[in-house]
Amino acid sequence: MTNLAVTINDRAHGPIDVRDDLTMNDFLREYLGMTGTKFGCGAAQCLSCAVIIDRPDGTSYTSPTCIVPAVSFNGKKIRTVEGHAKNGELTVLQKAFIEHFAFQCGYCTPGFLNEGQVLLERLARAPVARAELETTIAEALDGHLCRCTGYVKYHQAVRDVILADPSRFLKDGLG
Amino acid sequence: MKPQRRVPALVSVVALITIMAAGVAGYGYSAPASGPNTLAAPESFSGIADPLERSAAYFTELGKVLTNPRCTNCHPAGDRPHQGDVSRLHQPPVFRGTDGFGLETMRCPICHQSANFDPGRVPGHAAWHLAPREMAWQGKTISQICVQIKDPARNGNRSLHDLIEHIGTDTLVGWAWAPGFGRTPAPGTQMEAGALVKAWVDSGAACP
Repeated sequence: MTNLAVTINDRAHGPIDVRDDLTMNDFLREYLGMTGTKFGCGAAQCLSCAVIIDRPDGTSYTSPTCIVPAVSFNGKKIRTVEGHAKNGELTVLQKAFIEHFAFQCGYCTPGFLNEGQVLLERLARAPVARAELETTIAEALDGHLCRCTGYVKYHQAVRDVILADPSRFLKDGLG
Repeated sequence: MKPQRRVPALVSVVALITIMAAGVAGYGYSAPASGPNTLAAPESFSGIADPLERSAAYFTELGKVLTNPRCTNCHPAGDRPHQGDVSRLHQPPVFRGTDGFGLETMRCPICHQSANFDPGRVPGHAAWHLAPREMAWQGKTISQICVQIKDPARNGNRSLHDLIEHIGTDTLVGWAWAPGFGRTPAPGTQMEAGALVKAWVDSGAACP
């Protein structure tokens, strides 16, 4: 058993004793009842279980939770799909997913949403040229599997959010 | 009539065994009999009289480790690691990146913790990363790896004596003998592999 304290969507959880063999996915879903984070392949191959980890320096990255021990998240700040909308208002990216019919069954959506959000925040800090945008989006979403609608609509949704605010996300500001 | 027929047959069998034995001894690089997942000790090569042939035989035995999936999966020919005993391409798709620790969007330590996590079937070590591209072993013969591993430009700028330490005591290399659930360990032990490297270096580091 190891003591785990983690901040999820700005709310502190723990310290709580958890088994060393408990995955973060089980901690979220079974201990906390946060079932927005999905369990898909169980082998980090679909990334539907990915959450956002916020570093102290303000940068972020995603991590699968199905194969990673919960205790490795001790002391970390993370965001899950439940933390995106504020006061019932969806984020721009969530709205774009809906507008593009990006998902059907929705099982992969939390992973794509978290990955897309990390990309938007990264581009806001370090914009890329318009010519690099398609590759940048493709590389960011690479590894996330979707069995319903494919990948184009997710890609288009992310791209539309970026092109709607080019001065923020693009070096050359060209929409 | 039967005995007369059997004598020539027996002579033939004996002659064949003799020829085979002579051929093996004459080749000189053959390692002492050891199982596929064991390593012979340097002492067991004492029957090879020629020092350079014996040196090459040490490396041939060590080659059972260097060509093992536990090593070649992360010494890949290309920019993607492989995984498992069958060396399939790593899933999810990950790439070397500029420093061998993955791309910015998917770094090795995000999944690979400081130790194996068997409930998730994920191997781990604090320094989990790919060997540099120039140190690729995947798909190469033991002879090719031998030439490569002696070349500082293709061995991480290591001296031959550095290789004794690297293979014999480095803990990331040592993971190959404690790879966790579902993965077959590299042959022998790390100590035995280190002893073979030392014997090989001390005997002139000849290549098979």
